[in-house]
Parts: sequence; structure tokens; C-alpha cells
Amino acid sequence: MTTSTHDGNPEAINVRVLRQDGPGQASYWQRHRIAYEHDMNVISVLQKIATQSRDADGQPVAPVAWDCNCLEEVCGACTMVVNGKTQQACTALVDRLLAENPAEIELRPMSKFPVLRDLMVDRARMFQALKRVKAWIPVDGYSDMGPGPRQSQSRQQLAYPLSECMTCGCCVEACPQYTKIELTRRNGETDEQFATREEEAYNRGFVGAAAISQAMLFNENPTGQMNADERVDALTAEGGIQVCGNAQNCVVVCPKEIPLTKSIARAGRAATVRSIKRWLDT
Amino acid sequence: MPAAGSILYYTLGVAGKTHPTHFEVLSFWKVARVNNPQTSFLVRHEFLLRRLHSLSGLIPVGAYMVIHLMVNASVLESAGVFQDKVYLIHSLGKLLPVVEWTFIFIPILFHGLFGLVIIKGGLPNTSQYPYQANLRYSLQRASGVVAFFFIMWHVFHMHGWIHASWWIDGVAAAWGGAQFKPYNAASTAGMALQSGLVIVGYSIGVLACVFHLANGIWTMGITWGVWTSAAAQQRASRVCTVFGVALAVVGLSAIYGMWQVGHGEGLEKARQVEDAMYASKRASGVLEDQPHKRSHPPASHTENKH
Repeated sequence: MTTSTHDGNPEAINVRVLRQDGPGQASYWQRHRIAYEHDMNVISVLQKIATQSRDADGQPVAPVAWDCNCLEEVCGACTMVVNGKTQQACTALVDRLLAENPAEIELRPMSKFPVLRDLMVDRARMFQALKRVKAWIPVDGYSDMGPGPRQSQSRQQLAYPLSECMTCGCCVEACPQYTKIELTRRNGETDEQFATREEEAYNRGFVGAAAISQAMLFNENPTGQMNADERVDALTAEGGIQVCGNAQNCVVVCPKEIPLTKSIARAGRAATVRSIKRWLDT
Repeated sequence: MPAAGSILYYTLGVAGKTHPTHFEVLSFWKVARVNNPQTSFLVRHEFLLRRLHSLSGLIPVGAYMVIHLMVNASVLESAGVFQDKVYLIHSLGKLLPVVEWTFIFIPILFHGLFGLVIIKGGLPNTSQYPYQANLRYSLQRASGVVAFFFIMWHVFHMHGWIHASWWIDGVAAAWGGAQFKPYNAASTAGMALQSGLVIVGYSIGVLACVFHLANGIWTMGITWGVWTSAAAQQRASRVCTVFGVALAVVGLSAIYGMWQVGHGEGLEKARQVEDAMYASKRASGVLEDQPHKRSHPPASHTENKH
């Protein structure tokens, strides 16, 4: 079905997209066929699909919606499931995907987050998790507090890889312990009421590898260390580190190659020490 | 430090909120931590229960299993050596059921039943992400389920679950349970392990238990933060593999050893040794006559002496 041109490349690419018209609606597969070009990525495939606005049978369809921003794998916005693997669409290179499977490219939205439309998902739970573990350093104030303590080279080297996290969601998408939380709006519920209910639900779900690793990043920082106990307490609350099942998919799929399983084990050690201390000292 | 502040705003901004003040963040934090009276016991003590589940897998359940398999494998030396160890265990007398329930049955029931709760909370995805650790994640759950039902059956088959005579004689024995008699230890265990189906069942069960323990020690090391780096986890995984293979050999040898003393000449010799040991213990006054701990009918030629 795919005819090749003289240089061995196909003339056209088959793309199968799992579409969804809106939150909570049923999803459906749709086939697209686009002309092949050299050095495409999945974003340029989606741009071509949008330009055509016709499916493989030539029927007019609404353009497939997707999210993207930086186009250089540092923002995480274009994360989706490409050929069954969670990754960024911007660095999912078509020539490599076709080498794996010449017949077609399959695009699905991430399965652990509520779908907004087509390939766009709402990753609010990821950011809620950062709030849960206080993944920041509270130094805001009116007066100049002066420079913070110096960090050793070895500490910096430990922290840098963790700081590369872009909260893309790959780690939790591949995690068998991270299950989808999607609420449906009740009749007459205001935006605020719905958001509150959603946040409460997110706060009770598994916090996920990314947030655990961020908690370790800020606990390693000399200033961030001052709130280390609060972060560890958050990690031992409902949906905390104890939910991890050590499947270790997170560290394999992480596009930034962050040592997530090391962060998880370090968080486990911190939780062990903290809970024994809490038991003996308070 | 404006940088740290912007991290905060970035975090919240992406979350779909307009730039909130620091105060709002703190108050939100408090809301999130307020104890919801509706949350169940399991949820409120999730961390403690998960850690107790992890610990109980090693101590006492795992440690007990290692000793249990090694004691049973001693039957390869002789039926008498094994019988000697069973007498040692039964020297606890009336305390034995208390020790059994406190350190063996209740921990196994807790570990197994809470394990089922844990399994319910996950969605294995090995077909989509067929990585080694992920396969072991699924195998750990599968072997746990196999081990739990195997242990339930095994304890019924050999022990009978509870000591009440109405249950043991009236129900368990009729359903093929309570076949192990501690004062005819090797011979009764051996006779219970003669059918091919039972041997296959025990072999699968023992291998599931051994895998579950060896892999469980590895994940436990991560959970408690004993080995943290990828390299350390790799080293620990090799140690756990060696331990698991060795324990599997011990366990399967024990099954073979029991089978050997459960038929033919092996059975006859085992019976003679067991009855002689019983007679000598009775003669020395260490033992009271406890027919329920002996095989029925007892081997006639030794029984005639008293």
C-alpha cells in the first residue's frame, strides 16, 4: 500500500490518530495520509494533517488538536503516545518511526490525564503534585536576605540532572501504579467548585516519579533543606512514595534521562529516617 | 531571589491559575492537609501499612520460609535428622500454636491480604513497556497471588489450619488435609507428596514463593532506601538472584527428599527410625503419649510394645 519513490522513501505516510472531540467524550480512531518529506517529526506531521483537514478517505474533518511549545524537548507540552511509547512529538523523528514500523504512525493522547481534545491533555495533576511536595524554595520576602549558602561542586552535579525535569509526564504515563484521575463536572458546579474538587482528588492520587525527584532536588539544596521535613512528610501522606511499586518504567522512558529511581530510593531512605524519628522524638 | 519566585509562579501558572500570592499557596497547602474524616483506615495509614507489609515480607514471613525450607531439606540427610528438628520445634509444647499464629499465620495473612489490596491499585503494562524491571513488577504480583493460594492449600494439606480435633478428624482429614503428623514427620510428609499433581503443585508453589522473596528483598532495599544508585541496585539484584537460585535449589531438594521417604524402602526405614525415636522419648519421660501427633494407624510392630 505504500509505494516507494526512487530513493527508497515512501511517497506518503499513513497516520492513525486517536481523536476525542471534548472532555469526557468517546474517543475514535481516524486515518490520515500525508506526503512524505525528509527529516519530519511528529509535529510537522500534525501540521500537515491540519493543513489538509481531510482524512485518508478525503472526507473533510476538523484539524487534529495538539499542544506544543518549545520544539526542542525542554518544555514537555507536546508529550503524547507515539507508536505505543510515551514521548515528545517534537523529537519523535518520522524516519526512525518508519524504520520501526513502515506501515503507519500511531498517535494517541497520554492515557493518565484527562483529554481536553484529540492529543491535548490536562496535566494539572503533575503541577498539583509539585505543590504537594513544595517543589520550590520559599525565599520570597520584602527584605534582601543576601546571598544563599554556596553549593559544593559534587552537590551541583547531583542536582543538575534532577533540575532538567520539564514535568512532561512520561514517567507517570508509563507507571503502572499511576492511575488516571478524571472527574466529570456536576450539574450547576462552578469553575471554582470543580477546580477545588479536582485538586482534592489529585492530592489523594499517587504523586508520581517527577514530583518525588523534585522533592529530592530541593531537599538537596542548602536553602531548600530547611523545608526538607515538610517535603518528606508530604511524601509519606496519602498517595505518597509508598505507592511506588518499583516497576522502574519511569527511568527508562524519561527523555531527560533523570535518575528517577535513585531519587525514589533516596526519598524512601529519607522517609524511613523521618518516620523513625517521628516515632521516637515526637 | 526572583528566580525562585518565578519557579513558583511558573509552576502555578502552568497549572492553569492566575499568579497567586504566596499566602494563597500556603492556605492551599493547609487545605490539602486537612484530615478528611471520610478517608478509610487503609488510606489514613497508607505509608505505615505499606512499610509494615514490606517489613513483614522479610521478617517474619521470609525468614520463616528460609528456615522452613532448610529444615525440610535436612530430610535428604536422613528421616531421623529431619524428625529430630521437628521434635525441637514441637518442644514448644502448648506454646506452639501461639508462636505459629503470632509469627507465622497472622503475618502471612496480613502480607497476603494487604498484598491483594496493593495489586488492586496497579495496572500492569508489560505489553506496552516490556522492560526487565517492569516484567518483574508484574511477576512479583503474579507470584504473590500464586504463593498466597499455595500456602493456604499447603497449610491445609499438611497442617489442617486449626488444631481442634473435631475439625482435624471430622473435616480436614476427610478433605485430604492435615496429612502431616509431627511424630512421624518425614514419612507422613513423604506420603502426602506422592501424587504427580501434588508434586507439580508444590514445585510451582515453592518457586513462586522463592521468586517473590528474592525479588521482594530487592524492591525492599529500594523502598527503605538501602540501595539507591542504579549501580548499587544492579549489584543488589545480582546478590538477590544468587540467593533466589540457591533457595530454589534448597526448596526443590526438600520436595525430592520428602518424596523419597514417602514410598517403598525409604518409607519403611523412615517409619522404623521415627517409631524408635518416639519409643525412646516416651521411655525417657520427655514425651507424653500424643496419638494425634502420630500417624494412624501407627506401624504395628513398635506400637505393640506399650
